[in-house]
Amino acid sequence: MDKENFLKRYSCDVVANNFSNAGKGSSDIKKNLKLLNIDPAIIRRIAIVSYEAEINLVIHSLGGKLHCDIYEHKIIIISEDIGPGIPNVELAMTEGYSTASSSVREFGFGAGMGLPNMKKWSDDFNITTKKTGTEISMTINI
Amino acid sequence: MDFSILLDSDKCRGCTNCMKKCPTQAIRIKNEKAVIDKNKCIYCGECIKACPYNAYSPYEVNKNDFVETKFSIAIPSTALYGQFPKGTEICNIQNSILKLGFDYVYDESYAAELTSKAIARKISESEGVKPIISTNCPAIVRLIKIRYLSLLDNLITVESPMEIAARLAKHNAHENFDVCSEDIKIYYISPCPAEMLSITNPIGTKKSSIDSVIPLNSIYGDIYREVCKNTKLCNSTPSIKGIKWAIAGGQSETINVSSYISVYGIENIIDILEEIENGKLHDIDYVELSVCTEGCVGGIFNVENPFIAKRNIDYIIKNTKETFNAGISDEVFNDLYEKNFFDIEIIKEDTNKRKLTLAEAVERMERIEQITALLPGLDCGSCGSPTCRAYAEDICDGHADLYGCILLKANKKRLNSEEL
Repeated sequence: MDKENFLKRYSCDVVANNFSNAGKGSSDIKKNLKLLNIDPAIIRRIAIVSYEAEINLVIHSLGGKLHCDIYEHKIIIISEDIGPGIPNVELAMTEGYSTASSSVREFGFGAGMGLPNMKKWSDDFNITTKKTGTEISMTINI
Repeated sequence: MDFSILLDSDKCRGCTNCMKKCPTQAIRIKNEKAVIDKNKCIYCGECIKACPYNAYSPYEVNKNDFVETKFSIAIPSTALYGQFPKGTEICNIQNSILKLGFDYVYDESYAAELTSKAIARKISESEGVKPIISTNCPAIVRLIKIRYLSLLDNLITVESPMEIAARLAKHNAHENFDVCSEDIKIYYISPCPAEMLSITNPIGTKKSSIDSVIPLNSIYGDIYREVCKNTKLCNSTPSIKGIKWAIAGGQSETINVSSYISVYGIENIIDILEEIENGKLHDIDYVELSVCTEGCVGGIFNVENPFIAKRNIDYIIKNTKETFNAGISDEVFNDLYEKNFFDIEIIKEDTNKRKLTLAEAVERMERIEQITALLPGLDCGSCGSPTCRAYAEDICDGHADLYGCILLKANKKRLNSEEL
């Protein structure tokens, strides 16, 4: 981790398949950033990427964590999980492509816009994936 | 006036009911009395509803000064029509108001229909930002200005019907009755403390055309006594479409927007605003929000139960002939629209808060977290702050001290006695 100018980390656990609580973690991150008086336009982008990341953890992963790292001039949202990994990242990054089951789609999720949206709203987007886990980090400059 | 809610400190017992209901945590109990922070208050009226001792009341207006005014015009909120027994004719209500000493009664619903047209046009012309959020409920606009700054661009830049009505009424009186504009005073009869404040502190940048607001419940009895005796001639023809603005969902129906949601109740509204911030709901065109139950018919200064008032409005809509409708020609509307008659500018409020650097803000947050960890987490409110977290913030900012917490104090005493 880049130690320079690092200020604070907020973290939360995300439980797989728990749709009732989906969105709570990103909502808490948003609340904290508002208390820090971060620019509303920046918060809105963070809200979107962290919400999408959290929903992905709920739908696709076996469970994981969401972190929000605050630096002097940037905020990094990190999503890490314990598997099962994304078999084809290139395909997953395609707009409209989705592996979500029909039961998930009934909740209004799984439109295949998650990863493309996360990339679209980040200044820097990195993804590493293997069977034992996926880590996505999204940087938003402030 | 810079405040529309008054607190009678003789009646206030510092019970914490209002403090716990306040959606923006604007209330603290100091020396056993409630104190409202003006910068955080959105004038939703939840405190008035929550108070068991009737300590809150609307700002007092000189009720009878319209009698002495050269030319006084009353504009009753459309919600007023729902406050009388089912079947009461709108004309009777208008004539009763006239008998109180007003020179003219101008109907708000006509302006509401015009406003709907303006909103429909704005939506069709708008590009990009979705969903568009209604600006009719001033408490919601203030909430967004305080807590949801990123949604400011979603607010529709169209003035509310009460302002549109006031401008038209002034103009019409000047034309039709040959009175000069300075002699005309507009009195709006309102069910809402947030609307009351909008007269002196309008949500757009422009000056309000309304001169005074009369809380609906303070004049209701006088109107009611006259209602039974009246003739059926209408002073100002109402619009059946516009009357729908009094009830939740009516606004969207009148605008005739295909994809909308209508939400009332402050907790529900906060949920929806969070969803919009998360980038959801972009498939919805219009979001109609009102703090009060069932919309303006649920306003704090109404006298009838919101659900019954809604039924009364529904009855009026169903049983009034279409020919009664004021009807608005496209020509009149287009002319006004092109002149930007409906436009408002929503500006970011300048809070006097000292801007902390991010590093300072993080430091403050860590201190608050440390203090919160010391507190019992019961959110009992005895310290005078609504939650332990809010109390920690107050301590951190120097507005309270740690041993205002009765549990901490009791523990300290216990520890001291054990030591002895």
